[in-house]
Amino acid sequence: MKHTIIIGGGIAGMQCALTLSRQGVATTIIEKENDLGGKLRNWHVLFPTFTPADEVLSQMRHKLSTATNVTIKTGCEATKITPTAVTLATGEELKCDAVVIATGFTLFDAHIKEEYGYGIYDNVVTSADLEQMFNKGEVKLSTGETPRRVAILHCVGSRDEKVCQRHCSKVCCVTGVKQAIELKRLFPAADVFNFYMDIRMFGPGYEEMYREAQQAYNVHFVRGRISEVSPTIDNRLQIKAEDTLTGRPLKLGVDMLVLLIGMRSNDLNATLEAGSGLKCQPSGFMQPKDSFHGNVESGVEGIFYAGAVTAPKNVGESMNEGTTAAMAVVEWLSKR
Amino acid sequence: MTFFAKFCIPFIVGAVVMFAIVLIKYFSWLRNLPKSDLKLIAKGIFTPRTLAAVWEIVCESLLHRRIFRVNPRLGYMHMSLAFGWFLLIAVGWIETVAYLGFEWVPLQGHVFFKYFVPLNGIEGHKPVFDFVMDLLLLFVLSGVGLAWYKRMRSRALGMKRTTKHILFDRIALSALWCIFPLRLMAESITAAIYGGGSFLTGGIGTLMAKTINADILTLLYEPAWWLYSLALGTFFISMPFSRYMHIFTEIPLIFLRHYRLKPTAKEKSYDNFEVEACSRCGICIDPCQLQLQLGINDVQSVYFLRDRRYNMLQQKIANNCLMCGRCEQVCPVGINLNTLRLNSRSSMRNIPNEGRYNYLRGMDRSQGEGKVGYFAGCMTLLTPNTLSAMQKIFSAAREKVWWADKDGGVCCGRPLKLTGEPDSAQKMIDYNKALFAKHNITTLVTSCPICLRVFREEYDLHGIEVLHHSEYILRLMQQGRLSVNYSTDATFTYHDPCELGRGSNIYDQPRAVIEAIGQLMEPAHNRKNALCCGSSVANTAINDRQQLTIAQGVAEELDATGANTVVTACPLCKKAITRGATKQVKDLSEIVAENLK
Repeated sequence: MKHTIIIGGGIAGMQCALTLSRQGVATTIIEKENDLGGKLRNWHVLFPTFTPADEVLSQMRHKLSTATNVTIKTGCEATKITPTAVTLATGEELKCDAVVIATGFTLFDAHIKEEYGYGIYDNVVTSADLEQMFNKGEVKLSTGETPRRVAILHCVGSRDEKVCQRHCSKVCCVTGVKQAIELKRLFPAADVFNFYMDIRMFGPGYEEMYREAQQAYNVHFVRGRISEVSPTIDNRLQIKAEDTLTGRPLKLGVDMLVLLIGMRSNDLNATLEAGSGLKCQPSGFMQPKDSFHGNVESGVEGIFYAGAVTAPKNVGESMNEGTTAAMAVVEWLSKR
Repeated sequence: MTFFAKFCIPFIVGAVVMFAIVLIKYFSWLRNLPKSDLKLIAKGIFTPRTLAAVWEIVCESLLHRRIFRVNPRLGYMHMSLAFGWFLLIAVGWIETVAYLGFEWVPLQGHVFFKYFVPLNGIEGHKPVFDFVMDLLLLFVLSGVGLAWYKRMRSRALGMKRTTKHILFDRIALSALWCIFPLRLMAESITAAIYGGGSFLTGGIGTLMAKTINADILTLLYEPAWWLYSLALGTFFISMPFSRYMHIFTEIPLIFLRHYRLKPTAKEKSYDNFEVEACSRCGICIDPCQLQLQLGINDVQSVYFLRDRRYNMLQQKIANNCLMCGRCEQVCPVGINLNTLRLNSRSSMRNIPNEGRYNYLRGMDRSQGEGKVGYFAGCMTLLTPNTLSAMQKIFSAAREKVWWADKDGGVCCGRPLKLTGEPDSAQKMIDYNKALFAKHNITTLVTSCPICLRVFREEYDLHGIEVLHHSEYILRLMQQGRLSVNYSTDATFTYHDPCELGRGSNIYDQPRAVIEAIGQLMEPAHNRKNALCCGSSVANTAINDRQQLTIAQGVAEELDATGANTVVTACPLCKKAITRGATKQVKDLSEIVAENLK
């Protein structure tokens, strides 16, 4: 029986393993965390349907638990990848007939944008922090009070030359709209502002959700990036921005600031590139063989990509790529 | 006695044209000096400063002391040419006096004395002069030899890159290189035919007399002197239009400098002296990080001054400079390169829109009360860790503080000055001065070296002491108002910000503060030679990628020290280096606040 190793047990890797199992290919998932599910584990609900992330994930876990010939190795890291073998951090070498790299992305570290005060002032949180707060049901200020005014800042660590992240992270716009609606559902009396450069509603139902946020939830949208944040005497946050549609600078006191942090490439990608024949894009994400005929191929025979390792993607797209990569693996194995 | 031959004509014409042009230039520059500058000259001319200037001229224009300091081999090359040539002229004059007494001899009589000696049948051979003149000629020729060698292999003389020259420079340079070998040839042939000369010209002459037919020597005699005269004439005529204008221009420049004239934010006639005193030696090219790390090699000070001199300066050249001052640091002529570039920028784009600054009127967002004022500056507001660290430090020292701009204030004005808008900058300066005066502070602390520099240089704050936070923190520590924990495990390296180090001469205070907290490890380039972080607000031409490349180079050097933490004392440097660093980068105030007792 042919054996495929999948590096990364997020949704793309899980979906890939499931498909390969159905096609009669044995797989081993190498996951560095102690649990499968990747970034989705920490998410609350998914746009645009508000489906709980946990629901999606538990379905996947259930399917995987009943799938045949799937080995899961959690808490272990791959250090060297070739089409025929993967070396683990423990020194163990696993032989295989193909490899799928589904290592995903890294969340941008908001500390780098020091001017937004993340880690310096209370009540400056990232979008990932807010999801956790939703999950725990503890969306509140550091004083325990409920927020009355919240600002959500788009493009933190995306489309920002100053932090060397030139690309668009694609999913933050719609996440910002989704989180604004969630906040309004929790606190109908609160004012929620989105500060954006562009609103990129690329998927089905997204544009409708954006309209709904404005019409049904009265979420405010201001075109302009926040330049700096400072604390006020009464421990609120004062943000300075420019409303670029009216061409006026504005100052706004808010209780909470949410930074929509972008997806950046894994630092590991550079080490993947070294000596393997794999290539990184200037953004640091891995370069697929071809953007049209070879989305999930790496350019090295026997190594495939799935999910956000090649570019920022949403959950559905990552799962689709898991399937596509699995089919490409099957085709590759049948030729050998 | 006759002191004329036809071959002298190129020399005479050249010399007359050169002196005429040079004098016309100086006269028109002096005439156009602003009244205030003329007053300064009048005030200084009959003081010991004139003597000091003469001494400096000997040291610099002749001996090239400053180049010696930067690069001894290059110093010797310049000195042998300048001082050697000067001595040839001076000793040559003494020689004619020794032979003829104090008789009026036309200029060419001195220069071509060896030719006119047999012509006039001057008696009484004085071999000592032959010897000294040969020795001096050899001295100059050694310099010419080095110059040739430098063109071929600049690294041999300690320069990675030399200047790319324009046509006039090339003509003048070629003529200059020919002058002394041609003189050697003419004098040697003369010695071969008529005798005389010492070990050099006499030696070669004897050799020629032995090996070359006497008829041929006679045939070569006149053409050799013609060639020498032509080389001199060509050099003289091209001189005022070429880099060699510096030879004479440095002399009035040194006098004017001693009379306290200096370039200002706006272009003025005095600048001509500085611009044309540039010898285009190219010493400014090697330290420039734009060249070093980005391969940009047409914007350095030597090219900026050249373009400005020939009225072909473009904004993209004037704007492409970090103003880090690394070139000014090594310039052997001591030209105020940054000021000149700034006033060029100012003339090229000073078009302030008056309406832009209406918001300044009547605004006061300052908070608190105290004799000590703190001005964060826009970059510190963008690095709030520094701001909160300062807050901690102030409260630990129980200092009552007036916060000038915590809630947003008006820019210090330096960024506008750097981009060439001194008039707009003045509006901000006036606003902030009035604000400081209104709140009766006696000390003004800032954590931004960019602000510090303009406060010290342009604000004229009577009765208010301006301190950088490194100076202020050190003072608190010395007064016992602030104490920090020392740990041997804490290792720091320090990046000298340009505006703080070279700009404001503050090198020791931040180091003293760091050494009170942990071990300081110096990077390869430090203090006066420190590298620029690359994100200077003065450069509006390079893009973000290029800024990052420079920052990465700097970060690499800092990382190489092996220190755990990179410390700097400028919010802009901090932001820049953070982008390129693998280690944590902190402001001086942060490490102090973290280690307070």
